[in-house]
Amino acid sequence: MAYDPRLSSAGTATAPSPPPPPPPPPEAMGGTTTPTTQPQPTSTPNEANNNTVAESESSSSSYKLRFCTVCASNQNRSMEAHLRLSTASSPFPVISFGTGSLVRLPGPSITQPNVYNFNTTSYSQMYDELLSKDERLYRNNGLLNMLERNRNLKWGPERFQDWVPGQPRVEHVSKGDKGALGTEGGVVDVIITCEERCWDAVVDDLMNKGSPLNRPVHVFNVDIKDNHEEALVGGKAILDLANRLNEAASQERKASGADGWENGVGEARRNFDARVPDILAEWQEKWPHLPALWTLAWL
Amino acid sequence: MAQSTDHLVDQIAQLNAARNLVLGDAAFYPQIVNGVLPLIGANTRLELRRWGSEFLAETFASPALASTQKEQLAPNVLQTLREILELPEKDPMVLKHIVQNAASLYPLVFRHIINHPAEATAWENMTAIKQDILRRWDSFPFPVKICCIKFVQRVVHVQTHGPIADPRRPDQNETSLAIVPRNHAILSLPNLEAEASGLLDRLLSVFQEESSDPLLVNATLNCLAVLIRTRPSVGNKIINAIMNFYPARQVRAPITPSVRVGVKSMERTARAVMINILKRNPNHPLAGKMQQYIDRLMQSRIEVADEASRKRGLPTEPTDGLDNTKRAKLDAETPALIKVPPLPPGPISYSQLFTLTEDRELSNFDVKQLPTDIVLKIVVPLLGRVDQSMMQQSIDAIRMRYQTIQKQQAAQPPAAPAEAEDDDDYEPEYQPMDIPEPAAEQAEAVSAEVADLQPDLVSLGPFVLPQPPPLTEDEAADIGRSAVGRVFGMLTSTGVAPNPAKGKSQQQLGFARLAGSTFDRDAWVTLLTRLATRAPAGLEPGSGKVEKGKAPISDSIRETLYRYILEDFRGRVNIGIMWLNEEWYNDRMQMEFTAQHRREEDEEVTVPLHYDHWVLRLLDGFLPYLDSRDTKIFIRFLSEIPEVTIPITKRVASLAKDPERVNLCIQSLLYLIMFRPPAREMCLNALEDVYDTCMLLSSPAQTTPTLTIPPHTSDEESRPLAGKLLAKWRPKKTEEQQQQQQPDGQQTPSQTPQSQPQQQQQQQTTLASRPITSSESNTPLTNGTDESNPAPPPLQQQPQSQPDATPTTT
Repeated sequence: MAYDPRLSSAGTATAPSPPPPPPPPPEAMGGTTTPTTQPQPTSTPNEANNNTVAESESSSSSYKLRFCTVCASNQNRSMEAHLRLSTASSPFPVISFGTGSLVRLPGPSITQPNVYNFNTTSYSQMYDELLSKDERLYRNNGLLNMLERNRNLKWGPERFQDWVPGQPRVEHVSKGDKGALGTEGGVVDVIITCEERCWDAVVDDLMNKGSPLNRPVHVFNVDIKDNHEEALVGGKAILDLANRLNEAASQERKASGADGWENGVGEARRNFDARVPDILAEWQEKWPHLPALWTLAWL
Repeated sequence: MAQSTDHLVDQIAQLNAARNLVLGDAAFYPQIVNGVLPLIGANTRLELRRWGSEFLAETFASPALASTQKEQLAPNVLQTLREILELPEKDPMVLKHIVQNAASLYPLVFRHIINHPAEATAWENMTAIKQDILRRWDSFPFPVKICCIKFVQRVVHVQTHGPIADPRRPDQNETSLAIVPRNHAILSLPNLEAEASGLLDRLLSVFQEESSDPLLVNATLNCLAVLIRTRPSVGNKIINAIMNFYPARQVRAPITPSVRVGVKSMERTARAVMINILKRNPNHPLAGKMQQYIDRLMQSRIEVADEASRKRGLPTEPTDGLDNTKRAKLDAETPALIKVPPLPPGPISYSQLFTLTEDRELSNFDVKQLPTDIVLKIVVPLLGRVDQSMMQQSIDAIRMRYQTIQKQQAAQPPAAPAEAEDDDDYEPEYQPMDIPEPAAEQAEAVSAEVADLQPDLVSLGPFVLPQPPPLTEDEAADIGRSAVGRVFGMLTSTGVAPNPAKGKSQQQLGFARLAGSTFDRDAWVTLLTRLATRAPAGLEPGSGKVEKGKAPISDSIRETLYRYILEDFRGRVNIGIMWLNEEWYNDRMQMEFTAQHRREEDEEVTVPLHYDHWVLRLLDGFLPYLDSRDTKIFIRFLSEIPEVTIPITKRVASLAKDPERVNLCIQSLLYLIMFRPPAREMCLNALEDVYDTCMLLSSPAQTTPTLTIPPHTSDEESRPLAGKLLAKWRPKKTEEQQQQQQPDGQQTPSQTPQSQPQQQQQQQTTLASRPITSSESNTPLTNGTDESNPAPPPLQQQPQSQPDATPTTT
């Protein structure tokens, strides 16, 4: 607001790019920075050791879709799914969010919920607060167990509407968030919500964001009741869906791999995106009590 | 091969390390991008091309990298991308990322060329890429097609007119046709606009096709929201295109689960777009239509996509073999007839009127015992199942009963005797046993309950308030007294002040006025006086027959009136006058009435007369309080009372005993002498008495009530005044007096001429009649000549004789 419009316009008109620093070779840069960041084995330069080569090869061969799980408060259902996806036998990159305006946890009565802000309150803080408030109550209703689980997964609840897709999430990897590996770029391939309300909110918010990345994203909803038992079942169902989707995506990559996708045959030749409705329909047959919904949106 | 694979793996690892670097710090992007470009070019291995295209797409989409830096990086990258694309590239992954990247790059390059028209190469590359993508759009594999949608949307977005936020700061504006100078060297506005329009049509064609893939439809829908929002020029066109699209129409048999998923997703996505627009702009001109579209979408979804769930719902309904509806269907062929029992004789209640059952238990059941909600739960389903013909029959039967009763009531107002014969007509011969009668009965029981709330017209006669027990006479008198007391209390307390305009209005009314019609204090007084006098006329027992302790109501009113006037006789003298006039008039009327109705055998019929009694009492009441200043009031009283009697004149004359009131006395008498001719003689006699008495008073032996005042003063005061008057009216007397004074002891006796009917004002006539009277009254006065025997004897005699004379018994 306080800029001089003439100055700023003049600046862009001439566009005098600041003198770039002497370009160091990428390898050298990578070598120098790895000790500090140390995000993942693949980030270590090739020269460091040969073990990483094998690892990176295996990880590249087993392609992983990147997931995002969403519920209202980023506490129960989305975090259960987060746990499932990030601790599966072949773990998926996963991030999770809530679409509510605030994080709401049950309190001593229905009119006295425990309310926290998104993005600024950690699961540990909530855990400590509830522990000091009434350990017996929150132990019995499972809140402390849930927070215990959550704080081992990531730092704190994040709000979907505040998420900037494409914003690097390297720091989450360094913090050791579960499922952070592979989500450094801040993008996902699949969003799974746990309630229709959340699905509506996600689709609406993506439209509002204006899809700056021009990147397609499949948005699913798996309707799960907000309690611990249903969340467990729902988490299992979401992992099932993720496995089915990932299998299709891997097949596509293989088929169109080195040999070219023309060489593939049958189902494998069909691309991943087109198979999504079929996959969901199959999945729904298996999980009839978890009504599902899907669309293709843009990040 | 292994070597190359190892090498490739190394390369990929290096590239990943570089990517992590820029993700950690976006400042390294320019170096890294320029560094990797040669490694991922057109002729490198597929893995590298894939990695490179993805990395570039990520780079130009990254919110971490400033758009100015992206603009600078763009030209080199464009060259590489074009080369890869024109390879021709066949790998969908690479193509997908290239198209994605092209979508990100297009606005950047467009903006760059606006500001740098000289750098045509970049724009040329961009245009080439665009043409290649558009040409191959339809033939691309699916994932690329999806990305093409997004690319085209970007192109349309850029090549239409967008909003200008601030004309002074073009760098702040969104990239659109609006910021393209009209005379741009390379960019031709009309061409760009036409191209955008064509592309938009192609984009929207997905909604018009017979069978569209849900993937493409959803991808299109989800990217259109931003166009509608930021490009009003094409917004309505897009909305209309969407509103003509019904996913349910796309359904082709067989409906597989995946088709259902697709239809549902399209409906929900279309709805989400509409809601997104409506939420941002609730006053959108198409808002109403959009809402309708949303509603219709939801409806069609229920019809088509959720058909299966509805089918599943049906068998869950309980199928009851004894269901009433099924039984009703079975009975349909045999028209059931209701048995209508006759009404009981005598007056009937509403519940009897509406009762069609003969079951005693059932008709005795009180429906009111059931809570309302339960009754509702029972009645509503029952009403739904009631057989139409049965219901009609029941209603007809009740109607006939009711009309019969009505007729009977009209004919003979007291209750109907018996209607058994009328109702026998409805007795049907056929009585089916299995009719579901309880339904109708229950319903009627409820209506009977409602009817019971209304007054029972049939059994109740007109209500007559019982007569109160008769009052005893004492009670009646007490109540009468208390009523009178209340009226007096009102007179005194509230001060129903005579309104100031009253005097005038009364004058205007003149003789036409009615007493007591104004409802002010005077009216109440009038009422009271008449109540005391005329009201009980003829009701009172004969005179002298008044039982002790049982004063009639009228006397108590008189008593109260008397006290009321005495309380403030100066202010209430007019009330007294009014009252006394009423009394006198009443006395006359009573006498007249009695005279007319007198029968021969009644020797002595007496009429109780009240005037004389009360006028004297009143006079006696206030005389002691009169002082010399009350002349006017007193004269008014004397002049307006209907009749002046001798006792009255005596009372007036007695005033002369008080030297202070001699003037009052003499003036009052003078007034009466002058203006009340019938009383003139009486007054003159009284005056004479005063004159004489004054002389007598000088003697020390006299006993008069006026003890406080020394006799000589009254003597001195009254005598000259009286003498003066007498000299005028009875000159002879005064002469006599003067003569007698010298011989000392000779007094002319004065005799009041009772029967003298002189009306003349002229002195001559009066004087002419005088000799007779004076001669008559000689004797008593001779008695009075004795000094030791003063005036009292004649004074006492006359009051006694006069009242006795006045109660005239005719």
